[in-house]
Amino acid sequence: MPAPLSHDAFFTSLSDLLTKTSQKSRGSVTLTQKPLLHPTPDSSSKPSILIRATDGNTNAPNPKAHKVEKKKSSSKVKLSTVAAPEELDAFYARYAEVCKAGMTGLKKRDRKKGKAKAKGGAAKGVKA
Amino acid sequence: MPLLPTSHAYLEQSALLLQAYPDTTRITTKYNFPSTRPSNSSRKQKSKPASTSAPTTTTETTPQAPPTTPLAYLTLKTYNPTTGICLKYRTNKAAEVGRLITSLGKLAAGASVAELGLSNPVPAAPAAADVEMADAPEDTSAGASTPVVPAAPAKGDAGGKGGKGKKKGGKGRR
Repeated sequence: MPAPLSHDAFFTSLSDLLTKTSQKSRGSVTLTQKPLLHPTPDSSSKPSILIRATDGNTNAPNPKAHKVEKKKSSSKVKLSTVAAPEELDAFYARYAEVCKAGMTGLKKRDRKKGKAKAKGGAAKGVKA
Repeated sequence: MPLLPTSHAYLEQSALLLQAYPDTTRITTKYNFPSTRPSNSSRKQKSKPASTSAPTTTTETTPQAPPTTPLAYLTLKTYNPTTGICLKYRTNKAAEVGRLITSLGKLAAGASVAELGLSNPVPAAPAAADVEMADAPEDTSAGASTPVVPAAPAKGDAGGKGGKGKKKGGKGRR
């Protein structure tokens, strides 16, 4: 795991990763959050939160790999950052924005636009 | 690995789990597209540009199926490796993303069930009890039924043969 990134760099990379995955309409992005242990000695306070993001790309050779590898040359994307307890609110506000903006493959709520409507209808047909 | 029906229940159970094991519990959020079959992959790859760029659709290639972008799923998982407790929630609604991520932030900050700001709290213990109990009745019923099953046909066969013989005999005499 590479060293944790700054928040800005993390969000930029995460946004990029989510957008790429959404555009390709395949693959996955895994986000993990957990408390970062062995913090500074003042462990009486709440620990920082370690946030990781990876794509679903495994390093194991995949028989279908020749189809998959287009942009990513089979190298796993790993991002991480650390949010201190006092900056969690601000961090998660941005985190939510980035996720909302990047996860465009999910089902849309409003179907005001014609394009969105067509997508929604088609998606329903597929699901049913 | 219970899949909780509502985000509400998921967040609530997760809060309890995080309260119980704040140091070892982790939350994973997975955003993934369902894996496509090889037969579908070519069609879906063709439909990709349509989703991003313009209404220049590929209707001539797939007339019966309009170009679709496969729906992605968002799976939230709270897992505690030491106890093996795993809570999951799955959605495909874009409208939920913002709220869920914000709630994850509250969970990360160590919020309790009440601090999550969820209205109408549901007692958590029954759900957990149901989940844990789910395996036990299956096992016992399976164990109890298996000895019975081989015994029953044997009795049935014996009875059938005996009955036939008696009936034949009866017919022949009459």
